[in-house]
Amino acid sequence: MNSLSATIQDVFNEPGCGKNANKSDAERKKGCTKQLQPGGAAGGCAFDGAKIALQPITDVAHLVHGPIACEGNSWDNRGAKSSGSNLWRTSFTTDINETDIVFGGEKRLYKAIKEIIDKYDPPAVFVYQTCVPAMTGDDINAVCKAASIKFDKPVIPINAPGFVGPKNLGNKLAGEAILDHVIGTREPEYTTLYDINIIGEYNLSGEFWQVKPLLDELGIRILACISGDGKYREIASSHRARAAMMVCSKAMINVARKMEERYGIPFFEGSFYGIEDSSDSLREISRMLVERGAPDELIGRTEAVIAREEKKAWAAIEPYKPRFKGKKVLLITGGVKSWSVVAALQEAGLQLVGTSVKKSTKEDKERIKEIMGQDAHMIEDMTPREMYKMLKDAQADIMLSGGRSQFIALKAAMPWLDINQERHHAYMGYVGMVELVRQIDKALYNPVWEQVRKPAPWDNPAENWQNRAMAQMDEEAVALAADPVRAEEARRAKIICNCKGVDLGTIEDAVATNGLTTETQLREHTSAMSGCGICTSRVTDVLANLSVRLAMAAE
Amino acid sequence: MTQNAEHVLDHFELFRGPEYQQMLANKKKMFENPHDPAEVERVRDWTKTQEYREKNFAREALTVNPSKACQPLGAVFAAVGFEGTIPFVHGSQGCVAYYRSHFSRHFKEPTSCVSSSMTEDAAVFGGLNNMIDGLANTYSTYKPKMIAVSTTCMAEVIGDDLNAFIKTAKEKGSVPAEYDVPFAHTPAFVGSHITGYDNVMKGIIEHFWDGKAGTEPKLERTPNGKINFIGGFDGYTVGNMREIKRLFDLMGVEYTILGDNSDVWDTPTDGEFRMYDGGTTLEDAALAINAKATISMQEYCTEKTLALVAEHGHEVHAFNHPVGVTATDDFLMAVSRITGKEIPEEITRERGRLVDAMADSSAHIHGKKFAIYGDPDLCLGLAAFLLELGAEPTHVLATNGSKAWANKVQALFDSSPFGANCHVYAGKDLWHMRSLLFTEPVDFLIGNTYGKYLERDTGTPLIRIGFPIFDRHHHHRYPVWGYQGGMKVLVTILDKIFDEIDRSTNVPGKTDFSFDIIR
Repeated sequence: MNSLSATIQDVFNEPGCGKNANKSDAERKKGCTKQLQPGGAAGGCAFDGAKIALQPITDVAHLVHGPIACEGNSWDNRGAKSSGSNLWRTSFTTDINETDIVFGGEKRLYKAIKEIIDKYDPPAVFVYQTCVPAMTGDDINAVCKAASIKFDKPVIPINAPGFVGPKNLGNKLAGEAILDHVIGTREPEYTTLYDINIIGEYNLSGEFWQVKPLLDELGIRILACISGDGKYREIASSHRARAAMMVCSKAMINVARKMEERYGIPFFEGSFYGIEDSSDSLREISRMLVERGAPDELIGRTEAVIAREEKKAWAAIEPYKPRFKGKKVLLITGGVKSWSVVAALQEAGLQLVGTSVKKSTKEDKERIKEIMGQDAHMIEDMTPREMYKMLKDAQADIMLSGGRSQFIALKAAMPWLDINQERHHAYMGYVGMVELVRQIDKALYNPVWEQVRKPAPWDNPAENWQNRAMAQMDEEAVALAADPVRAEEARRAKIICNCKGVDLGTIEDAVATNGLTTETQLREHTSAMSGCGICTSRVTDVLANLSVRLAMAAE
Repeated sequence: MTQNAEHVLDHFELFRGPEYQQMLANKKKMFENPHDPAEVERVRDWTKTQEYREKNFAREALTVNPSKACQPLGAVFAAVGFEGTIPFVHGSQGCVAYYRSHFSRHFKEPTSCVSSSMTEDAAVFGGLNNMIDGLANTYSTYKPKMIAVSTTCMAEVIGDDLNAFIKTAKEKGSVPAEYDVPFAHTPAFVGSHITGYDNVMKGIIEHFWDGKAGTEPKLERTPNGKINFIGGFDGYTVGNMREIKRLFDLMGVEYTILGDNSDVWDTPTDGEFRMYDGGTTLEDAALAINAKATISMQEYCTEKTLALVAEHGHEVHAFNHPVGVTATDDFLMAVSRITGKEIPEEITRERGRLVDAMADSSAHIHGKKFAIYGDPDLCLGLAAFLLELGAEPTHVLATNGSKAWANKVQALFDSSPFGANCHVYAGKDLWHMRSLLFTEPVDFLIGNTYGKYLERDTGTPLIRIGFPIFDRHHHHRYPVWGYQGGMKVLVTILDKIFDEIDRSTNVPGKTDFSFDIIR
């Protein structure tokens, strides 16, 4: 087994990952590489994941070893912000050609590293492996090692060629690379009791700068941010931090956990999205620092800052209340689970009519019910047509989502606001939440939506596709209602586990015939939940419903 | 070193050399009696204040940097839209040279136009002889199919009677008796170029429909299913006319364009000089009387023309330079209703594309403040489009705008929540605009080339939409009407917005953390 496969296996064994923890040994060994479905519209590759994870390290030369495709399509495509060097935005690639494929590209790579060091003299060079040289057998680890020694400069191999798996795996492999080659290789000039690391934060739109002044004010030093607005030296000496915050996204869970293991740096998962979450995160940072030996008074000072900032933020949101009265929001957030965003929106007077639960855990769903009431629409995987109907039925005034769903919103003639990484506004921290509210206000009152909603004045409204689709769906619903057999078939055909294609009927039958009661039993019988594991919370719901039904039947 | 034959510098570079700089500095110091620079700066700053604005708006007699041109310019515009027609301006030749250069600088095409070259003698004794000789020479030298006569101030002040003069000239054999010489009085001291357009368009229609100045019986109207279309004075006439024709052809509408300048101001370079090209045929101009309706794209360019047309029993419709979705909807719906022709799928798709583009990008325009100046109809069309996009047309100014126009703009403001803080300024000039831009700043200025002084002075980025555009080339070849035209206007505005974002984020190490590839 070569070192790349070993690293990948290691990543799959990540105990810090909730999903992994749910798997059987056999399943875990297969890894979380949900087999990409040929013919499907897939997301980015491991290389892309690795590059976006490390690219925000600003003073490093990021050299992509591969044909022009890999760097050509990804050059400077992320809105991370730098407070210093802009070297990270310069595009370096070996741009390999046929000769390199036939005779090997290692020499070219070596020369490229030399030229970068001659011309730019960066503190380090990161070399990214891609599919083609990985297939032809270019050993970037060896080249980087040789170059490091020859030029007396860290040359770090990032071994995540695209074919090994999806983007998320690439994030983790990038984390492994810096754990192996960067973190702990330098010592900080000095240390304090207030040094922390921020892990998995990319400073998109410069949003972390909305939080940093608060930490500065409290005297808390960010020893390293991995990787937003990061500098090589900071990351190399980040092993001396007293505590770490892992920002919501699980992209770098392995980094946080292994730093705890290797250097004894405790971490917590937190978020700066939303007022409540920002306060909680600040509190947690202070608490951990105090626990590790910082003076107690930090906690009091933190509370004072939180009280002041919360007051300011709520006051800034107040004026929007009358404008938001009666306005309804649909939240399709993907991975972001910031319930405090929901709380802030509700505080601003918006009514939440639905939210996506695709990536939510059982606790998340309970929290949704708690915040939004029992009638909240919870949207799982939906076809665009279903989402359209849902948007229509919910009569939402605005949809907040990532870029991927924007076209559904546009088709449904729904005002839409981008809250994922391609956005151009910074929503982090207290001021960020006020900005989000301001942007929602802008989107809600943008007259273009009215125009989008109106068909051409000469159109016969009955004949447009939206109404045809709605009529068709209504028709199907009526047909199902009239035919209990088909309705039952349709109910049972609902896919619960997308990876393994297990439907509700199969699960119900397995429970009924074998008397199963736990998820583990179900996984063994039906192979549901043995892919990405996201469906576990859905299966739990199904089991709960079934036990209620069985109990009622028994009575 | 001064100019050097080995390496000749142009004026961008040459006068920056130290010897020229010193010469200019010496001249200023020794001969210009310069003021204390601090005092100059103080006054400059004062001219940016509310106090100065009040004095500026109290101006009664002086016009500074007007945003309008004279009637005869519009007269020439209207005349060259007819087949083989040469505009003949009765008056002084200097004026005529202005119209020709003005159009050539905008359209980058020659504009043929002759004058009766009145001199001091003519001013004293009347210009009859100039008319007689002028018509004869024009007819024999340039062999036009029609000579459209208009006037300059000089002829108007002495009271030359065009109708009588042309009759006399014909009697004297300058041109054949049955030859078409329509005419219009177009004094520059009344109205502006849009008035001149109106007068000549009316004059030509009256000539063909109402018995050619009493030399023939008036035409009898036999209504048919066609419509007439008049574009008005329009800097985008080349692109717009072609777009309108394409839309009408797609709908299957039968139409006559009255005044089609799209070919004469866009002749191909293929070795042949076309003094005349395209235009409304004289036969079509006459037959246009039978149309069931006449549509004008610019109300304030065709007030008298449409009144005349309406007298002949046409249904008449005037729009205000429609730009954007709603305005184009209204225009096409009117055409569809009048002609009974349906709007085809292809146009519906173009509409959807414009709506799509607006939805994709409008967040960047939404909430931005604009100042607009230009001709009255263009101002209305652009202001309506901005409101549609959620922008605020904060200052809307037309030097040649009337009180009625101002009321119409105000009604437009009142129809949208984004119009709440917007104001209309009729009869004001670009020096007034300067005060407005200083005291109530906006994000962008929309206007013609002359706006670049305001851009430099006030720092308000200029989006060039209007007439004349002298310092950018070829924009007149693209339409601003129809959904595709709306797209062009949208993109023009967006380009400037993004250029500004880039410009304000491009200092290395200072602001370039937001110098992004993806906007």
